[in-house]
Amino acid sequence: MLFFRSEEHVRAWCAATGYPLRPLVRMDQLWELARAWYATRLQPESRRPQPSEMRQIFGSLGLTGGFWDPQSDEFGG
Amino acid sequence: MELELRAKLLIYERFATTGSRPSVDDIAARLGATLPQVREVFRRLREARVLVLEADGESIRMAPPFSGIPTQHRATAAGVSYYANCAWDALGIPAALRRPATVHSRCEQSLEPLELTVSERGPEASGWLFHCVVPAARWWDDIVFT
Repeated sequence: MLFFRSEEHVRAWCAATGYPLRPLVRMDQLWELARAWYATRLQPESRRPQPSEMRQIFGSLGLTGGFWDPQSDEFGG
Repeated sequence: MELELRAKLLIYERFATTGSRPSVDDIAARLGATLPQVREVFRRLREARVLVLEADGESIRMAPPFSGIPTQHRATAAGVSYYANCAWDALGIPAALRRPATVHSRCEQSLEPLELTVSERGPEASGWLFHCVVPAARWWDDIVFT
């Protein structure tokens, strides 16, 4: 899970390393993911999101398709 | 409060206040528990995916979003420096602390430094992007690589 300056930088890195290009996430979307996962992490009642919650969180940010499905075996998305 | 929850809260308290990982000895002393009891608690927290441990089975590698070892992803808040496990967790640190922070990382392709101001409302406007090569269903197959 890495940062890149631009989509061109991601594409160049994928070409150089052989890793596939995956869906790109904007910084504002990443902040919402970070909040969803960690905003209560220091609290007694905290717990990791379950698969159904993960789907809901990803979907609310427009992150859909097999890549974001925590129980999918198809990753084309 | 059960021992496991008390240990988890103490681990996170240590990371949040100092930026560094506690040892089994530290947690045992705070809990008034034995070392074997705390090692067993660490093992259960690892099974629950709350912690990732080093090969020695007791040193904390990850208590997400915090990293127990230095990485290329860092956040500073209120004068404390924290290492994060990945780009996601770098933003996870101000989210967990609920405190303004500056995230320090880099572009993996160009190695250009990233310095991102994050307020309690979120990061400043930025055209930088996040990319993960591992699909969500495989994140925990090798969470260190992910």
